[in-house]
Amino acid sequence: MADQGRRAVRPARSLASGGGAVGDGAGGGFFQTTFGRFSARNWALIFLIMMIVVFSFTGRGFFDIVNFQNIIHLSTGAFLLAAAETLVVITGGIDLSIGYVYGLASVLGAKVMQILGAGGMALPGVIALGMLAALLASILPGLGNGLLITRFKVPPFIATMGMWGICNGVTLFLSDGFMPVMGAPSQINDIGNSYFLYIDPSRSVSFFSKPPHITMTNIRSILRLVPNSLFLTLLVLLILGFVMSRTRFGRHTYAIGGSMDAAVRAGIDVDRHLVMIYAISSFVSGIAGLFNLFQTGIGNYTPSGANYELMAVAAVVIGGASLTGGKGRILGTAVGVLVLAVLENGLQIAGISAFYRYIGVGVLLTIAVIIDRAFPDLF
Amino acid sequence: MHTDSADQKSSLQERLGRNWIAIFILLLVLLFSVSSRAFFSIDTAQLIFFNGTEVFLLGIAELFVIITGGIDLSVGFVMGFSTVVTSKLIVMFAGLGFSPLASILAGSAAMMVIGLFPGLVNGWLVAYLRVPAFIATFSMLGVTHGISELMTQGIPTKNLPSLAGIIGNGSFLYIAPNGALSFFARPQVARGQTVIAILPNMVVFAFFFILIFAFILGRMKFGRHLYAIGGNIDAATRSGINVKHDLVKAYVISSLFASLAGVSYVMKYITGKPDAGANMLLEAIAAVVIGGASMAGGSGTVGRTILGALVIAILETGLRIIGMQTFMTYILVGAILILAVIIDQVFPNRNR
Repeated sequence: MADQGRRAVRPARSLASGGGAVGDGAGGGFFQTTFGRFSARNWALIFLIMMIVVFSFTGRGFFDIVNFQNIIHLSTGAFLLAAAETLVVITGGIDLSIGYVYGLASVLGAKVMQILGAGGMALPGVIALGMLAALLASILPGLGNGLLITRFKVPPFIATMGMWGICNGVTLFLSDGFMPVMGAPSQINDIGNSYFLYIDPSRSVSFFSKPPHITMTNIRSILRLVPNSLFLTLLVLLILGFVMSRTRFGRHTYAIGGSMDAAVRAGIDVDRHLVMIYAISSFVSGIAGLFNLFQTGIGNYTPSGANYELMAVAAVVIGGASLTGGKGRILGTAVGVLVLAVLENGLQIAGISAFYRYIGVGVLLTIAVIIDRAFPDLF
Repeated sequence: MHTDSADQKSSLQERLGRNWIAIFILLLVLLFSVSSRAFFSIDTAQLIFFNGTEVFLLGIAELFVIITGGIDLSVGFVMGFSTVVTSKLIVMFAGLGFSPLASILAGSAAMMVIGLFPGLVNGWLVAYLRVPAFIATFSMLGVTHGISELMTQGIPTKNLPSLAGIIGNGSFLYIAPNGALSFFARPQVARGQTVIAILPNMVVFAFFFILIFAFILGRMKFGRHLYAIGGNIDAATRSGINVKHDLVKAYVISSLFASLAGVSYVMKYITGKPDAGANMLLEAIAAVVIGGASMAGGSGTVGRTILGALVIAILETGLRIIGMQTFMTYILVGAILILAVIIDQVFPNRNR
């Protein structure tokens, strides 16, 4: 036992001397055991579980099904944005525009619904056309990014940063300068905020909508399970996760991120593939923005300094991806999102100023990378 | 004969391509002057520089890091951090019984020292722990944002001495209608007469530091080392440059300039708030890239970055004068940023 503890110190020492000297830590010890390898590889998951345990003691109401559903429900946007970013990061690129594509989809959807609704169109038509407009428009920034990066050889950082400015400008134009867009039909709110199952302990069970006898006054008496947002999150994450791990498209994405030259020589149409990746990233961000409209009922532009895209990158990196490309998993990213979300929620419930979460994100992110640097052979 | 003229033609094209940014600025000025009579004047020219002080300072902040091949995402929030700390310090010194001028000077000077620390940590993470610059500086963004939010608790700093605003919005030189000159203080004149103000204080403040660091980057060994590191870090190491040391210095200079931008903001707007520089990151990086630097490192100069920042400053002030809304600025800055990179690929020798 003591022996194991002493050996475990060794990688920590080489960690302090920088990534280069790590090779000598591979001689054996804790990080060579199955459990050690697992814990180093999945430190984010272990950290998440530790956080949940700690927060359960620090704040009343944290360890509660209602609170957990809240965390998931409020993180829908973060899940989708981070999943989108994961694809791009795996190719070795970066997409800084997703945060503003998110706002663009939300505002454009609301605007179209507002105009069509005022024009007297039937409700299903209004919602369907609003969604269609937002989703179609959200592909465009991604196509633009992809073409700039492949045809015009603009570095991803610059291309997507320029697109960030353009999307932000268009969004502000649509929202008449810093005004949330109102006037979308209120029924979308019901879709965005409903749960799969409502259980009234005294009377009945119902699906997808509140039992009619429930009003605002006795709403606390029913148990709501599985928010609709969870289905959306799971759907998107499962599809992307399946594509990345089980299909040729996914394998090609990893190949491009691992070595662009090798991917070209292996006959992959890299340019076409990259355009698709950026388009998908943008599209998924559009879905996230549209769902934000369904959740809040208003079209929200992305406030300056919100840094949604950087938070997404943070989740991706905490989830084990590397910014140099070729590495990363959708599941890891989901854990990364949860780490950030639980951190925020737990601090709030413990009564600690939520501002500590900004600091927490910074510290976690740096630890993530140092761990990644220190154990390159583990991943 | 034929080849000669072709050569001449291509060299002319190349010269145009290399200096497209200057031509672009001329076109912008021409365009705005045609659309608004009020645009072409000394006052507007000074306003452009006055409004753009933070863009100039943050552009230089970003330049030093981009030359080394890195990136500093924290500049905007280090600037916000600086506005909070500077204003709190000034209020604190004033509360201790210092005169307004003394507390402003002491607060700003103290901030310039505190402002070195975010860069020190960034540089240490990047150079010694080999954390990618993107991650290290994003972490610093979070930390500085968190600390400044904790310090203000959501309320922008108040109760600064009014002298701060007088300094921040005043000018270096005033010319009264009778030809009398006065420095720093606006002369009293009869109603209806106009005083000509020349050189806003904050522009002088900004360019004082920018010129010093232009000299350091362009003329001193340290500057050459930065270009060498950005060009090829292995070669730089092998040629005996203390790469880790110089990298840390680059990040420290970056956070110093971000702090200066914060000090300038406090003087101009007499308040401090965490998100003062929240949307400045795009503009800071755009200034450097429009100025012809490559994100891969090894290129970029202070002069060209100033030109790049000038494009953004002219756009912002010009669009406001002709009555356009802010959203056009975002769209145009984004589009010009992308265009700049594309044009530079057509004329790759711009920085030689």
